[in-house]
Amino acid sequence: MNDIVLDIQNISKAFQKEKVITEASFKASRNAVFSILGKSGSGKTTLLKIISGLEQQDSGSLFLEHEEISAIPAHKRNIVYLYQDALLFPHLDVFENIAFGLRLRKIPKKDIVKQVNKMIFDLQLEEHSHKMPTQLSGGQRQRVAFGRALIIKPKVLLLDEPFGALDVDTRKQMQQLCKQTILNYKITTVFVTHDLKEALLMGDQIGKMENGVLKTFINQSEFLNDPTTGAKEEIEFWKNIYKNEERF
Amino acid sequence: MLKKVYISLGVSVVLFPLFLLLILSFGKQWSYPHIIPKEFSLVHWISVFQLNSTLPITILKSLVISLSVATIVTAVSFFSAKHVSYSVHRKKWLFLAYIPYVCSPVIFAATLQFYFTYTDLSGTMLGIIIAQLFITYPFGVIIFSNFWNDNIKSIEQLSTTLGSSPVQTFQKVVFPLSKSVLLLCFFQVFLISWFEYGLTTLIGVGKVKTLTISVFQYIQEANLFLAALASCLLVIPPMLLLFINKRFVFTNQQIG
Repeated sequence: MNDIVLDIQNISKAFQKEKVITEASFKASRNAVFSILGKSGSGKTTLLKIISGLEQQDSGSLFLEHEEISAIPAHKRNIVYLYQDALLFPHLDVFENIAFGLRLRKIPKKDIVKQVNKMIFDLQLEEHSHKMPTQLSGGQRQRVAFGRALIIKPKVLLLDEPFGALDVDTRKQMQQLCKQTILNYKITTVFVTHDLKEALLMGDQIGKMENGVLKTFINQSEFLNDPTTGAKEEIEFWKNIYKNEERF
Repeated sequence: MLKKVYISLGVSVVLFPLFLLLILSFGKQWSYPHIIPKEFSLVHWISVFQLNSTLPITILKSLVISLSVATIVTAVSFFSAKHVSYSVHRKKWLFLAYIPYVCSPVIFAATLQFYFTYTDLSGTMLGIIIAQLFITYPFGVIIFSNFWNDNIKSIEQLSTTLGSSPVQTFQKVVFPLSKSVLLLCFFQVFLISWFEYGLTTLIGVGKVKTLTISVFQYIQEANLFLAALASCLLVIPPMLLLFINKRFVFTNQQIG
């Protein structure tokens, strides 16, 4: 657990005159999920884009397996960034969407078929392998996007509110499937969400981003006891609901 | 059934004038008030295939000009539209793109004529190509500015983080997604260039004859049969493009 894969040190970023990230530092352990909780506009997405290489930080350092990667272009970092929308390639079917990264790496065709079919099975998409993205539901599209990222075995997977556009039931199913698949494929993950429960459910480590500043917590208990996280208020809210129900 | 009748009627209305032009192009002698020529001959159509005739050269020049303009504009405006669309000054750049359309192409050409005369480009094919680029390039940028949206940007970025280089992202993602709009731009610009008269006449100063200019010239000379022939030749490429558009582009869009 203590083997650090991603080490982010004192990152800051401004767009023109607007400071989006003032200070962000954290360490993500190997095969663990680091949850970042934060409201819209708190700088979470910008932080993920900096880590993936899609944006350049103004100051600070990024270490991936102890190597400074700030100067390495996005396509060579082996860090996959997934958006809230599944963003499947509309001209490719499910099989080809998942195979995309493997074809780029010129993996032999036989191996591609084998690996993609296994991924399709793991993500329970067997019936949909030759469907086009427009023929899939929101949850299915998100699973394909997830498989397309996992199959290339990235060093770090960045998930930017991946279940934000899903309904409550699909969201629950996807949280479980996502957690289990990340565990099975052993991928270090940074998971960004504005949902407190989701952050706790998904994360082995946790942080909170507010007004461009990332605060990290040693464990879940520290997070739950910190008055700034909103966790206490949430617990009190449910306790009161429970008490009221008992009275009736 | 009624729908089929309407479609047939619509198609007939469009095709009838073309059919009449085709009949006229075979005419040899015609006098008022007859609708159809008295005598017919293949002589005008044969001249299209004779190398010593001016018509094949005119067709070739028109094709070279229109294909060059369409190819250059499609290629250049595709990439420049990307920079315009992703720029923080997107609105300002797009406003500039509309400026050439404030006045008509002839007036626009008149404002450029001095520079073309000064650089010895007047009366040359290169001059006409450059002049047509002035009006068609912004048009291309406007067409592509809708393609380069936030969704395409995100898909490009996603492809990059999956490991594709900028070239691979273009080959495997951007190009397949942009095929329809690329063809659309190519066809539109080709047609603008193909039918362009005022600007081409002014910059060509009578030295470069395109098929469109020839049609007007034959009409002015009251050469009805040659004007009809040139008109028939003029509509062949647009008809061909319309067929390709319907057969391939539209079908692809439906599949996508």
